[in-house]
Amino acid sequence: MEKAVEIQDLVKDFRTPGRKLPLRAVDRVSLTIAPGEVYGLIGPNGSGKSTTMKALLGLVQPDAGTCKIFGNDSMQVDSRQDVGFLPENPYFYKHLTGAETLRYYGKLCGLRGKALEGKVKELLELVDLGGASDRRVGGYSKGMLQRIGLAQALVQEPRLVILDEPTAGVDPVGSREIRDLIFDLKERGITVFLCSHLLEQVQEVCDRVGIIYRGKMVKEGPLDDLLSIGDQTELILRDASPELLEKLEAMIRSEAGTELLRCGRPKTTLEKLFLQETVGRKHP
Amino acid sequence: MSRVTRNRPLNPRRIGVITLHTFTQLVRMKVFYFLGFFALIVMVSNLLKIQDLGRPDLSGAEVLRSIRSWSLGTMTLFSVVLGVVATALLLPKDIEDRTLYTVLAKPVPRIDYLIGKLGGVLMLLFVSLLVMDLLMSGVLALRTHFVVAEQVAGLQARGWAADQIEAVRLETAKQGPTWSLQGAVLLVFLRAAVVASSALLLSVLSTSTLFTTITGVLVYFIGNFQGVARKIMSEEGMGFAERGAALAISTIFPDFGIYNMVDMVIQGEALAAVVVGKAIGLTCFYLLLHVFVSWLVFAKKEF
Repeated sequence: MEKAVEIQDLVKDFRTPGRKLPLRAVDRVSLTIAPGEVYGLIGPNGSGKSTTMKALLGLVQPDAGTCKIFGNDSMQVDSRQDVGFLPENPYFYKHLTGAETLRYYGKLCGLRGKALEGKVKELLELVDLGGASDRRVGGYSKGMLQRIGLAQALVQEPRLVILDEPTAGVDPVGSREIRDLIFDLKERGITVFLCSHLLEQVQEVCDRVGIIYRGKMVKEGPLDDLLSIGDQTELILRDASPELLEKLEAMIRSEAGTELLRCGRPKTTLEKLFLQETVGRKHP
Repeated sequence: MSRVTRNRPLNPRRIGVITLHTFTQLVRMKVFYFLGFFALIVMVSNLLKIQDLGRPDLSGAEVLRSIRSWSLGTMTLFSVVLGVVATALLLPKDIEDRTLYTVLAKPVPRIDYLIGKLGGVLMLLFVSLLVMDLLMSGVLALRTHFVVAEQVAGLQARGWAADQIEAVRLETAKQGPTWSLQGAVLLVFLRAAVVASSALLLSVLSTSTLFTTITGVLVYFIGNFQGVARKIMSEEGMGFAERGAALAISTIFPDFGIYNMVDMVIQGEALAAVVVGKAIGLTCFYLLLHVFVSWLVFAKKEF
């Protein structure tokens, strides 16, 4: 089956003035993403995530290796027909309104007339900016900029969407909205390649994850495989009586070679608590 | 399976989209406020030397010459400044704001982007100069009519012969809205187009708006000394260094000397079609050269 993304032994060096040796930003990175998959590339700042993405978009030229999008060499303009890209902290043309921004990017992709207008309307609704479509982008909040950015990335109905830190600087509510949009893309069969250092969010949305460190891919695979601890078992009960718990503990203790590591109430996340107490709150 | 795509470079539609967008961007930066300033200049130059209108000789033509001089001078200043600054601003701003990432991440060949950006600046220059030309021509036509009428009446009262009066009338009419004047406005536009394409080339070499602006202005000034450089090259007894410097200037910098025919038109001289044709040819050559070299650099540029 044709891969949505195929990066093979990618190497990227940056030559900086005053340094004899070039700085290797990406060192023989290989990864593949299947169509419809949500792939997360995680790593600390300066580890080579953005450079990998830029190489995939043809914004930087690989020193070695290849990058392909649906079989097309990413240095070829045609490969971009299938890609939508949201850069980190995007700023769009401040003089354009939200609708004009989408129209501009749509026209660049060859959309015209009713098809373009229909697409603009649909995307504004999708990212919940229908009410702000006639406002200049210069007056948009951070979260609105991210959402209009996501809409422009989707304007030509790409099969692959690349998101570079899609929730950077966005509050938890906006962050959750973007997360929901990613789920929506996944449901529509669109392949998503995102990089982020918000690990909880990556864990929530991604099918597969790659960990990049100092330019090298150090771990890669399906998220479930990477996160499961091979020699431990989780048992979550609801409304268990203290007597039942005592019985269970006694049974476990009587079993030779088995050790009870922890018993207690599972914790919610701070993000879930925040959303429950703010957006999800019925009365102030 | 790969989707069949057609994203050939030099797509007129795509270039048109970027051109129109760049034009809108510059218009919304309120550069057209300058047109109000220009209207004021034309009106002020129209009022200058108004006391001379009572003299039934050629002095009335001075008013017309003054309008032409002020108008073409302002047009030159406006178009050169806009050509450098607008072009120098656009590319680095797109890089700084990361809007370039989103544009180049679409199926947009880099040559189309560059031509579209330059096209937007040229469109703005063309529309601005057209409006200024219409304003200048309108004022000149009106003023010429009054000046000629006053001159003819005065000369008739003095008893001048009809052929003498006709000669004066023709002489004065030369200072009115002639085809040569339209040719001069075209030369102003062509000069600004070369200034803009030079600034485009500079802006792909450097990401600094300030550097591009200063260097662009320098290129414009040095380009005005092309004639001197060529003269030095042809003179005997010149040293190797002088000849080398002259050769460098005449090769690297565009020759803006040819556009200086505008000054002769202000004085009322006719502009030969062959000069305009030569200027158009030279402008096309510089535009193609600058865009081609810009593309060579920009195609390999990493963001």
